[in-house]
Amino acid sequence: MSSLDYKKPLRAVNFICHAPQARSVSLVGDFNAWNPAAHPMKPMPDRSWLLTVELKHGHHRYAFLVDGVLTLDPHAQGVTRNDKGERVCLVPVS
Amino acid sequence: MKQTVEPNRGRATRPATAKGSPVTAGRIHPVVTYPFSPTGHYRDLQALYGLIERLGADPRKYSRPITVMDRKTYYSQRKAASFRAFRDRTLARCGDVLDAWCVDTCQMWYAGLGAAFERGKAGDVYWLIPGDFNYGTSVGQDVLSRLHDLPEIILELDQDLCIGEIEADFDNPKHLIDTYGTFALLYNWFPAQAREIRQYTERPRSEFFAVRHEFLGDLLTQRWYPYEQTVVMLLRAVFMRKQISRFFVGNISDLPEGRECLSSAWQQVERTERVLKTLWRERHEARPGWIERYRDLEAQSELIRRSALTILQNLLPGQ
Repeated sequence: MSSLDYKKPLRAVNFICHAPQARSVSLVGDFNAWNPAAHPMKPMPDRSWLLTVELKHGHHRYAFLVDGVLTLDPHAQGVTRNDKGERVCLVPVS
Repeated sequence: MKQTVEPNRGRATRPATAKGSPVTAGRIHPVVTYPFSPTGHYRDLQALYGLIERLGADPRKYSRPITVMDRKTYYSQRKAASFRAFRDRTLARCGDVLDAWCVDTCQMWYAGLGAAFERGKAGDVYWLIPGDFNYGTSVGQDVLSRLHDLPEIILELDQDLCIGEIEADFDNPKHLIDTYGTFALLYNWFPAQAREIRQYTERPRSEFFAVRHEFLGDLLTQRWYPYEQTVVMLLRAVFMRKQISRFFVGNISDLPEGRECLSSAWQQVERTERVLKTLWRERHEARPGWIERYRDLEAQSELIRRSALTILQNLLPGQ
């Protein structure tokens, strides 16, 4: 971790995925090297999936893996592509 | 309890601040286009230049902002004391004023971005901020608080072009023009590229964007159109396989300037078609048989334009 990273505060961000039929949902993004096992999401009583992750200040790319399928967040603030050229979402963290 | 933010549009945004900005690889060059026909009050411009002034306080991150003012605007306003005071005090204090004779808005972009480019270097980012927006309203303040994200996304995620998208209701004139005019025409002239563009944005004519130095350099040396230049930039970005992002900057559904009249909507569709035709010819006229293909596309384009004008005539007020 560089000294610059050390100064960046972490901010808790809620990710919510509405996938009532899904058996598993995970959060993937730049912040976990797109690792499907890093951030499994938890099912909620309303059948959505929730996860709170602490992220550094800045803009992060992310997507949901719904039963293994890369899925965009319909409520995302932005869209871009990841290093594989797949369409993914953007979240700003202030 | 933890303080949280939602990764969706409802999140609170941070205003640009002079304090604590990290050292970035490139600098951000803000370019403001002064409204062609300013309103009698300065509420919106005061709000905008409040942001511009804050940017100026962080010279490591932001270069001195440039405001482009059409000379026609200057000559129509110069006798107003309030205009002279705003220009001499606020504009001059917040940055440099670039006076230029411009055919249309996109020529103001060309003058401003070109001037900023000459000050910039590899890795820098150029941030266009249209001045003719109701920044003084609550909706406008919200937009103002999000605009800084556009150049930051370019720097942080190594993008070439970031389009700021304004959300509008399904019956908003901008939405109707883009649905029945812009995209319909794009699907005719550049179908593969149009599909790619629509994966990013529903607003291919947005005036909110940021662009990386290297890509702007490419754009400045090619034909620059006096209008609908964002569509051209998006097309060129797809042609050149550039990295594109889209970011939501606000909702204008309730603002009166979003309610355009039929004449203005028609004009926007007609000039979009004109630009696409010219761009298509530029890219194809060296190929054998291009004239026949062009005539086919032109015939289809005319049908699309006529349909769009009919739909807009049925949905928009006449004046």
